Amino acid sequence: MMTPELILMAEESAAKTFTVEGPLRSIPLPFLKDIFGEENACISESIVSQWVVMIILAVLFFILGRNLKLKPEGKRQVIAEWIVGFFSGYVEESMGTRYKRSYGPYIGALFCFCILSCLMGLFGLRNPTADISVTGAWAIITFILVLYTKIKTGGFKGYMKSFIEPMPFMLPFNIIGDFANPISQAMRLFGNNLSGIVIGGLIYYALGSFAIAVPAVLSLYFDLFSAVIQSYIFVTLTMSYVIMADADA
Amino acid sequence: MGITLLAGDTLQLVNINFPTIIFTLINTLIILLIYKIFLHKPVMKILEERKQKIGEEMKAAEDAQAAAEAMKTEYAEKLRESKEEAAQIVSAAVKRAGERENQIIAEAQQEAADMKKKAEESIELEKKKAINEIKDQISDIVIMASEKVCEKEISKTDNEALINKFIAEVGNE
Repeated sequence: MMTPELILMAEESAAKTFTVEGPLRSIPLPFLKDIFGEENACISESIVSQWVVMIILAVLFFILGRNLKLKPEGKRQVIAEWIVGFFSGYVEESMGTRYKRSYGPYIGALFCFCILSCLMGLFGLRNPTADISVTGAWAIITFILVLYTKIKTGGFKGYMKSFIEPMPFMLPFNIIGDFANPISQAMRLFGNNLSGIVIGGLIYYALGSFAIAVPAVLSLYFDLFSAVIQSYIFVTLTMSYVIMADADA
Repeated sequence: MGITLLAGDTLQLVNINFPTIIFTLINTLIILLIYKIFLHKPVMKILEERKQKIGEEMKAAEDAQAAAEAMKTEYAEKLRESKEEAAQIVSAAVKRAGERENQIIAEAQQEAADMKKKAEESIELEKKKAINEIKDQISDIVIMASEKVCEKEISKTDNEALINKFIAEVGNE
């Protein structure tokens, strides 16, 4: 049994402590401190990471999308057509032909943004997706899309009525349900990415100066594999929440 | 060892940061626009154009095939017609040749008949001429003989009348 004194001694003897920090307050915005408070009046590391992602994606999309020919020349156009065709096809498959035109670009853009954000850890930047504010923002978009679809397809009356269906006592659960979906969606992506960071940090800490090869292999799973899977789940959930909200479907 | 949630100038690990939310919304919108303008629209446009072009080309090919079929039947019809015409021409030529043949034969026969008739006529003429000559010669001979018999010359007119009578008698025999 370790006495509290021993634990204290062990902590003191450790060369360093293991910490997982939140995103850096990269650019402070002092003029916003009256609105958001001292700590939150800033542009965080997550946003800076997103800007990097955006530059990469903008260059990528620009290169892929320019000078397209009726008769494809080279792999560039094949890749561009494959990407657009994949997302359009996936949206059509999940949501039906009616939503193909309107949701194809959003799902494609969101997936690309999400997957590259998840992979930012590989480039030494902080994953924007390991920030609840980022995944929360995307969940807010999903929530708005769901609300819009419900009102558009069922009318405002139908939307209000859906809260007391199938029975009036279900009202509180229906209200919770409306918020629970996007919150769980946000939490899932956030939790997975943060856990990747935490586990990665723990492994580095545990291996100390022997941190060779093992973290790379694990990082392959926690960053690459998990990034693809979680991005895929995130866009799939977005589509399924919207299509579930469609009263006509 | 302890897990620190807030260290130095960082945000809390689980922290709702409104500027992050707002910037994320803006960034997502920008990415959506970039994706749509630079990648989605050009690719969709090219796919649509390709679809249209393939449709047009397939229609053109079908049209060409239909035209070829039409031409084929037309040519077959024409070929049949020209064969018929050729057969007609040949049969007409044969018929005409037959007619011509008959005509030529008829002409030849006619000519031969004419020639034969002419020859007969000329033979008749010659015959008459010869008979006349013979008659003359006989009359001369008779005169000579009569002269010998009579030893005197009778007048030529009497003589001739006498002789002609004699010849007519001889001719009648």
